[in-house]
Amino acid sequence: MRPSFFHHLHPPTIPARQARLRYTLAAGGLAVFLVLILGITGILEIFYYIPTPTEAGNSIQTLTFLVPFGGLVRNLHFWSAQFLVIVSIVHPLRVILTGAYAPPRQFNYLLGMGLLVLAILLDFSGYVLRWDEGIRWALVTGTNLLKSIPLIGNALYTILVGGTQPGLATLIRFYGWHIFGMTLAAGILVAWHIFRLRRDGGIAVPPPPLREDQTRITRFELLRREILAMLLASTALLLLSTFAPAPLAAPITASAPASETARAPWFFLWVQQMLKLGNPFFWGVVVPLAVLVLFSLIPYIFPKPVKPELGRWFPKSNRIAQGVALFILLSIITLTLLALLPAS
Amino acid sequence: MSNRTLSRRDFLKLASAAILTASGLLGLEGLFRFLNTQTEPLPPTEFDLGLASNYPPGSRTLLPDIPALLLHAQSGYSAISLVCTHLGCSVESKPEGFACPCHGSRFDPQGNVTRGPANKPLRSLRVEVTSDNELRLYTT
Ligand code: FES
Repeated sequence: MRPSFFHHLHPPTIPARQARLRYTLAAGGLAVFLVLILGITGILEIFYYIPTPTEAGNSIQTLTFLVPFGGLVRNLHFWSAQFLVIVSIVHPLRVILTGAYAPPRQFNYLLGMGLLVLAILLDFSGYVLRWDEGIRWALVTGTNLLKSIPLIGNALYTILVGGTQPGLATLIRFYGWHIFGMTLAAGILVAWHIFRLRRDGGIAVPPPPLREDQTRITRFELLRREILAMLLASTALLLLSTFAPAPLAAPITASAPASETARAPWFFLWVQQMLKLGNPFFWGVVVPLAVLVLFSLIPYIFPKPVKPELGRWFPKSNRIAQGVALFILLSIITLTLLALLPAS
Repeated sequence: MSNRTLSRRDFLKLASAAILTASGLLGLEGLFRFLNTQTEPLPPTEFDLGLASNYPPGSRTLLPDIPALLLHAQSGYSAISLVCTHLGCSVESKPEGFACPCHGSRFDPQGNVTRGPANKPLRSLRVEVTSDNELRLYTT
């Protein structure tokens, strides 16, 4: 058989543990699958979406209600994007809690962090493309946050917004970043991440002499499991897309009345909650960046996982990293829940 | 290699690294200036509000396009900007003052902060009565 990209990712046999659901949670594979759905549905949306403030809302309505399967395409894109952000958090969490970033995989861990950031930025820019009342204040506060950065803040604002306030130039810039700039970067990183995964010996398990469990599965068994996972994921996405449509509010108009509460998209609620504490630069820029840097440094600054312990949950050797990650995650979840409480 | 003179190979290596770095930086500078340009017209800073008599004494008029609140008190016309001084959301005008929907800042009817995270009062905007008795509001 001629080796192909498929065979590159599916060696004739692999250690059984590398494909055990309760070890991997299938998170990486699901992410790839979601990226594929996002790519296909995204391309389809390009044919109807019009990136101008006056037309954006109407064109989304046309896509959703007039075009056959248009609503399905949009809802699939929406739900896949939300799941991609969730999976992009669960995946590194699994990696930290199993110590799977142990050398030589630190660099691939960093590539993965880059992908997490891109998943969030892509989700945010896609959300802004709705250009409806629902996104208005998240866009205003998010971009004004840039201005709070000393020295370069105002330049960053103009680069992102293309003017002194959100408008046509802003929508075009977000559109460009969303469908091309960030998508291209994400595509390159995904390919690189998968390449490194294979180069580093696949999913982290102890080296052969230290393995308690020597069983291996064939590429056909692996493929069977992958197809099963894809079928389950597709079913979930289709059900959600049929019964829970993606949100869309009235288009932005200057004269719309101020609303009672304005919420950030769910993955930024924790930042919105921190902003209530005061200084925008500190709580809105420094702290989120510090969280990102701390997560990225986990393979480098904490005690490293040891090889014999790989392939299972909560190894003893990297307990500190596990504790730090869980603590930050719980803080973020708590902040998110606080932000969801009704305003006092 | 032990003497001080640079070998031909090292010199070429160093020179190409320097040239590559310099062109990279120049390119970045170009990209920065390319993106850091704003082509949209600046938003208006002057608003004609029509006849002053449309705003009787004691009235409070919401001007959502600006956004601002126009007041006609005994001392004359005045206006308060409704742009929250924290991160720029539009505040809601309430009987007890102003409330921001984004991070919960509160302001009293004069626009002073009564609760954070905002730490500056809402801006007061200049209102003028023109010679033909019309109101003009300035946001700068
Ligand atoms: S923008 Fe008003 S409180 Fe933050």
